[in-house]
Amino acid sequence: MTPLTRLAATACVLSPVLLSAQARGNKPTPPLFVDVTAKAGITFVHKSGASADKFMVETFGSGLAWIDYDNDGFPDLYFVNGAPGAPNALYHNNKDGTFADVTERAGVAAIGNGKDAQAVKANKTGVTVGDYDNDGYLDLYVTAFGPNILFHNNGDGTFSDVTAKAGVAGRPNEWSTSTGFFDYDRDGRLDLYVVNYLDYRLDENPYCGLKKDGYRMYCHPTQFDGMADRLFHNNGNGTFTDVSKQAGIANPAGKGLGVTFCDYDRDGDPDIYIANDTVRNFLYRNNGDGTFTDVAYAAVVGFDSNGKPQAGMGVDCADIDGNGYPDIFVTNFSEELNALYQNRGDGTFEDVSATVGMGAAFLPLGFGTKLYDFDNDGDLDIHITNGHVIDNVKLYQTNLTYAQKDLLFENVGGKFRDATAAGGPALQAERVGRGLAVADFDNDGNLDVAISSLGQRAVLLRNQGARSGNWITIRAKGKKSNTFGLGATVKIQTSEGLQVRELNNASSYLSANDVHLHAGLGTARTIQQIEITWPSGARQVLKDVPANQILLVEEPSEKP
Amino acid sequence: MIRSRLFVIVPLVVALSAVLGPWASGQAPAADRSKAPVEERLNRVRADLFSATPRFADDVAALKDVLAENPKSVEAHVLLGLAYRGLGTQEMLAEAIAELRQAIEIDPGVAPARFYLAHIYLDMGRAARAKEELEAALEKAPGNPQFMASLGETERQLKNTRKAVELLRQALQADPSLLEGHYYLGLALFDLGQTTDAMKELEQVVSANAGRPEAYLALGTVYNQASRFDDAVKVLSQGTKLDPARADLRIQLARAYRSKGLLERAEAELMRAQPKADASLAASYVEHQQLEFDLHLELGLVKMKRGQLAAAADALKKALAADPAHGLANNYIAQVYLRQGQFKLASEHAGRAAKAGAPLSENDRKSIDAGLAAKKSGVRE
Repeated sequence: MTPLTRLAATACVLSPVLLSAQARGNKPTPPLFVDVTAKAGITFVHKSGASADKFMVETFGSGLAWIDYDNDGFPDLYFVNGAPGAPNALYHNNKDGTFADVTERAGVAAIGNGKDAQAVKANKTGVTVGDYDNDGYLDLYVTAFGPNILFHNNGDGTFSDVTAKAGVAGRPNEWSTSTGFFDYDRDGRLDLYVVNYLDYRLDENPYCGLKKDGYRMYCHPTQFDGMADRLFHNNGNGTFTDVSKQAGIANPAGKGLGVTFCDYDRDGDPDIYIANDTVRNFLYRNNGDGTFTDVAYAAVVGFDSNGKPQAGMGVDCADIDGNGYPDIFVTNFSEELNALYQNRGDGTFEDVSATVGMGAAFLPLGFGTKLYDFDNDGDLDIHITNGHVIDNVKLYQTNLTYAQKDLLFENVGGKFRDATAAGGPALQAERVGRGLAVADFDNDGNLDVAISSLGQRAVLLRNQGARSGNWITIRAKGKKSNTFGLGATVKIQTSEGLQVRELNNASSYLSANDVHLHAGLGTARTIQQIEITWPSGARQVLKDVPANQILLVEEPSEKP
Repeated sequence: MIRSRLFVIVPLVVALSAVLGPWASGQAPAADRSKAPVEERLNRVRADLFSATPRFADDVAALKDVLAENPKSVEAHVLLGLAYRGLGTQEMLAEAIAELRQAIEIDPGVAPARFYLAHIYLDMGRAARAKEELEAALEKAPGNPQFMASLGETERQLKNTRKAVELLRQALQADPSLLEGHYYLGLALFDLGQTTDAMKELEQVVSANAGRPEAYLALGTVYNQASRFDDAVKVLSQGTKLDPARADLRIQLARAYRSKGLLERAEAELMRAQPKADASLAASYVEHQQLEFDLHLELGLVKMKRGQLAAAADALKKALAADPAHGLANNYIAQVYLRQGQFKLASEHAGRAAKAGAPLSENDRKSIDAGLAAKKSGVRE
């Protein structure tokens, strides 16, 4: 256990007395978030490669990942760059609120080695993080419109491109987007899911939009076919096998942009949810035998409540309403509601998007998103970064803008309240938001947010803990399971109730969150019981755990 | 080239069901056959979709229920693709493609799915992809006249017009009553400049009273081209009765009226021919933009003929906003500006018209030059 000093519980922040004082203006409320990008020394600027030809890939942006690559306990930050030749960037967390650019030393710029022309020309898109070889160090997988790259973490601050050996490049013409590591067959080794978007070729680039100067627009995905995703099974020897077809996830109808994993039916194995753009979303139920069945129709999670497919972008899956079953949240196009599918616990979901108070998200075009407890009050809130895909959208619809503000929704008993204004100036800034990922980079018990914006500087938003309750961070160390315990289910019982959470860093859009599990505890200073069900099936119970600490939990050797 | 439209979907399905019995009677996975209620529901949906008045929304709901029980039912995916297509909205088009592609992924031999998919691709102007699907369908069902006819139309859209005619004649040899074969052949012959033969083919289709506005539009267009304006008015008027909302029919009808000198009637048709913009920003705009262009070009010509030069210029400017380099539109607006005495503007557009292969007449060009020269020498325009 690693107890950290922590602010005293501040759950009284939301008390009626204080709210009343704020309303009278007696004491200004500090903003929830502060933009600390410059102070932290993060200078990354995304390059989109935007051209007059309006290649679609130019407007979909790139992601980012939190990765504690050197296991020093402080999450480091990796940004993916878009345009061919534009380097990705790895920032090492100096543990004092600042970061240092270590890209060159680490060898993760991902600009090709000059030998592989396809790699040099690739537009890089997404990223995920996981320890695929269980050596205790987190590795990186970068997707692209072009060959994808697997960087093995050498454990000495450097990485090696092992894509060819691992066999996970995909085809050179594939437009891969979001991706994630998960152990679908629970053999203790992380497998790899790669979402593919369109069957798109730069040399077949139709003119879209009005034929007037300045009106050319990025094409609509309807004009292209979808492309099947890929599932790579980890062979345990540094190589992977493409099992997409036999596993049942190779549906060419998909136009995938987002992926997340959760055990929606609580049968003990991870299922897959894919957010597709303009076609229905997929929910792949894990059959437990190495295959999946798309149950989107049965589970009612493919469409909006009118039966129409939406333009799915980012996605996350977690228990929002506290019924113990993970709900699914999907960001969508402008003038579409973001979708919140509430898990009924019987294998079906209910689309509650229109009734939970997220109307403010109707006009913006949502991309990266995360369900996390920004105020540590014990329930999951929603953060969305927005930005249109059409740079000249104003010419077509005067009520829309290219750059847009983030949205922060506070969970209030299963409904949501727009808390963006309370976020402070950092959330008022307009950006062409794409990737979003969450980690507590300064280990102060409040989850912070990094955002990658199209063609703009990235931002690091520090959560000041203005309303913070108590919390716990669990760092899982698997033995029989994968080393970081991805896929474990954690039940946290406090005096305020039960939270059921899963360790999963794959969500949002093109991005990866910190691999550790963070939970807000509200006023509870002690956790009565933590029950962890590891991917191996091992079950572990911890009693009377003090709040406000980073808890290292090792998987027990044997099943109880 | 006349843009073809989905001509055959519903009437054809009956024929296809007969031709491809194994699919229609269920090549779906065993789970499908073992569940009688599912089979019954599929039968009901199939019957409805192939009826004269399909209830697409109900069919979609029923098929989703089937797929909830059996996500791998090939037939349900195909029928759902058809139902989505039948809804006719841009936003469901991608979903129609998705369902049909999923059916093909599950069973690559399901030729009807490829056929329907090809027709959606054709509607989207993606003829190369349509060709791939139709060739694969013909491998499964060699000599199928419907598939051959559609492949013929695909070749026409790919500008392989002679090959198109060859394929279409083969299809009609196999089935002389195949209306879509005659329709596509009419379009192909028209492209080849064989107007009389094209008329004969299209007249057969219209006289069969198949209730397809596309055939009326095509025949009316051919009549206009052949200066048979009375016939054009007659057939296009019939077409507008079949589908009063079709802007392209009314624009073509206006052209016929204008050519007959019935300018008020022409203008009235154009007033009714307001293309509906797709509510979705994400729509391709292509078809809407083309209709807008056609509408404003025709309106400009009507206004020119009525001597309403300012209104003509306004309409033609709108046409040019959609396609600034269009030869004829530049030609016409240059004429308007010439008549208005705006020689500089006339000269600019005359230049663009010439560049696009639609030069003004020698007389008009001389008049513009004279006007510019006079202006230069101080004579007021």
